[in-house]
Amino acid sequence: MEIEREIEELHAASFGWAMSCCGRNRQDAEEVLQDVYVKIFEGKARFDGRSTLKTWLFSVIRRTAASQTRQRMLHDVLTAKWARRELDPVSPTSDAAAQHAQTSEALIAALQQLARRQREVLELVFYHDMTVEEAAAAMGVSLGSARVHYDRGKKQLLARLNGKLSL
Amino acid sequence: MNLQQAFDALRQQEAASAPRFDRMWRARAPRSLTPRLAFAAMLLITVAVLVFQPKKPQPSITAWKAPTDFLLQTPGRELLTSVPDLKGSRQ
Repeated sequence: MEIEREIEELHAASFGWAMSCCGRNRQDAEEVLQDVYVKIFEGKARFDGRSTLKTWLFSVIRRTAASQTRQRMLHDVLTAKWARRELDPVSPTSDAAAQHAQTSEALIAALQQLARRQREVLELVFYHDMTVEEAAAAMGVSLGSARVHYDRGKKQLLARLNGKLSL
Repeated sequence: MNLQQAFDALRQQEAASAPRFDRMWRARAPRSLTPRLAFAAMLLITVAVLVFQPKKPQPSITAWKAPTDFLLQTPGRELLTSVPDLKGSRQ
């Protein structure tokens, strides 16, 4: 199955995007990605070729994550669960890994402070090597809107990271 | 380290910890039956209540009393419904 092979090639990137859409909660990201795969496997989500497979897959992940977040919030309200969701700790194994982990933690913390659209467009461009146009398609917004989010988000991110990453 | 390198580092970390594709692709999401059962039970109870609702007997029109009747019971109402004794008051 051709699409299965292509999706497999995108699996690591898809997981990273799912992590982004789920506030870097690993368990939620895995649930979302599995749900997306089930949708594709069962034919509930079909690739129609109007965009690249990656753009389409990322938009499905984004919509599924948003839907699950709403369901989770409703469930939490109904069951009066207000447990804090914590980020998964990064476990470094060497000095270089520890430095990377520190950088990543600073980056994640700065990203969490941005508006959702700004965070999404920056991650799609910098993390997933998409163009702003492709990011706009994955986010379901106009190109102009994506450019504004990109410019504002980048300025804010750099301001928050100034000094922490020796930029 | 610039912004792109920071994102690259994050991508490498998360890619290394990504779960296996085949495990996720083949697995069916375990869908809980609880919400569906709860919804079905609620629907059944609602239908049962609507269908088997005991019907109240219709009251006769002559026995009917306006629910706001008590508002007409004003203080000193008896003075307006009785004739004053003028003869007695003269003496």
